[in-house]
Amino acid sequence: MAPRLSGKLAQLSQSLGLWEIPLTIPQISIRNFGIRSLNPPKPSRFNNHPGLPVLESTSTAALRRKAFSLPLRTGAIGIKKGMTAIFDTETGKRIPCTVLQLDRVEVVSHKTREKHGYYAVQVGAGWKHPRNMPNSLLGHFSAQGLSPKRHVFEFRVKDESGLLPVGESIPASWFQEGQYVDARSNTKGKGFAGVMKRHGFHGQDRSHGVSLTHRSMGSAGPSQGGGSRVYPGKKMAGNMGNTQNTVQNLKILKVDAESGIVVVSGEYMTAFLTSQSSNCHLLIVDPPTGAVSGPKGCVVRIQDAIKKPWPEVASTPAATATATAA
Amino acid sequence: MASLSTMRPLGCLRSLWKAPDMIQSQITRRCLSTVYSQRPKRVPLPQGVPEQFLSQLPTRMRPENTPKPIKVFNPPPSARKACKDPVAKVTESQLETLDPKGERKALFDYRRNPRSVRPGDIVRVTFKNGDPFNGVVLSIKLRGIDTSFLLRNELTRVAVEMSVKVFNPNIQSVEIVQRAQRKIRRARLYYMRSRKHDRRSVENIANAYVRQKKAFMGAGSRK
Repeated sequence: MAPRLSGKLAQLSQSLGLWEIPLTIPQISIRNFGIRSLNPPKPSRFNNHPGLPVLESTSTAALRRKAFSLPLRTGAIGIKKGMTAIFDTETGKRIPCTVLQLDRVEVVSHKTREKHGYYAVQVGAGWKHPRNMPNSLLGHFSAQGLSPKRHVFEFRVKDESGLLPVGESIPASWFQEGQYVDARSNTKGKGFAGVMKRHGFHGQDRSHGVSLTHRSMGSAGPSQGGGSRVYPGKKMAGNMGNTQNTVQNLKILKVDAESGIVVVSGEYMTAFLTSQSSNCHLLIVDPPTGAVSGPKGCVVRIQDAIKKPWPEVASTPAATATATAA
Repeated sequence: MASLSTMRPLGCLRSLWKAPDMIQSQITRRCLSTVYSQRPKRVPLPQGVPEQFLSQLPTRMRPENTPKPIKVFNPPPSARKACKDPVAKVTESQLETLDPKGERKALFDYRRNPRSVRPGDIVRVTFKNGDPFNGVVLSIKLRGIDTSFLLRNELTRVAVEMSVKVFNPNIQSVEIVQRAQRKIRRARLYYMRSRKHDRRSVENIANAYVRQKKAFMGAGSRK
């Protein structure tokens, strides 16, 4: 019996149409008498046949997916000044609210699809003494003709039409009374907290033989059957709070452009839906949104709410200013 | 080999016999290395270097590439300076619409106004929508827009307390039915919740007041 080519080489010779050409190593013709071949033709290892689905793991596909949840225009940086209440003169309802102040908010630079892979507006607020700023950052502001900013954040926008010109200031009138925004800020820090406070564990018994461990967690994991180890992500005591939190669908109740005040509602938002066919009122209570997170004086980023229809406004603050003046 | 291994413990003697010079020299060397020396100053380019030689310099050292000082721009006018206490401003603008004449504020400003409502008084509150409520004032909380007072009464033999916001536009009127009978030394009369000090129902007093008032008003209208 003549020696056979190994599987892949034999295939290669087949695919190249070298069947008739005698090679240095003689080939054995494969004859099939109802017997399964020992080296059947293998499918390609690479997924390259026609009719493949389009890949969804590209940056383009990611942007396409995000297109529905990215705001059309940039947001603003505010400082939480405290809370107060507003009475609705018609219904007499008391609405607790948070007061934010927008101080010298200006567009610092852009992030573009071509250069950075996504569209975003870099916004700065406040003022910082140039002495306390590294030269590289100072140059970043000075190149745009801007004063050094204390707070700098990015706001993602859907496309280049949302890129506000660099150097443009964002006044409080950027937001309209009655529109909805998402507010993200850091929560109040609670320090090193135990499991009862941090994760709501029940703790242990007051008595029944328990001594000295009334507020601690019980077991950290299963024994030998479970691998004799503590699983990753186990809830334990640790630092609590001072993490970013987004509060969605907060209503803008009041805007004062001169003093840069934006008053944001801090209560359970309610919405009425009237269905005409059944002639009934359906009360929808959104999830308990609560107020803007964080202590007084914290930095709050507000942008149009992604779960509400986009507000109908002019694209530039200058245009909105003229619109309000006229 | 055996002789070597027996010699090994004596190896430490070697250091004795070597030591003085070596240690001394090392100490001096260390001292020299830690002597403070100023940072060498950058040598400026000699004046009047012919242009054909400039290309031999690294680009950062060429005269046209000397670092320029960064121009710092002045900040725009600050909203923070224009309005130092935005919360107070929002509260004021609210009070302007809810209490333009400042009557409500004066009626409950018991620290300054001697004619105001005081804890211990019996008060009748009428609302734009809903029944009036009578009760003894237990406490007055002065909190700006959230200023409120707490009323206590007994309805159908059940003790009832009601906290009322002073600036709520739903409130039509607040009338003082009866002043406190004797001087009250406390600002918070929570002891009235105990059985011993409970005032029980003040409905009769309030009703008598309403009747009296009606009689006066009726007499006035008949004329």
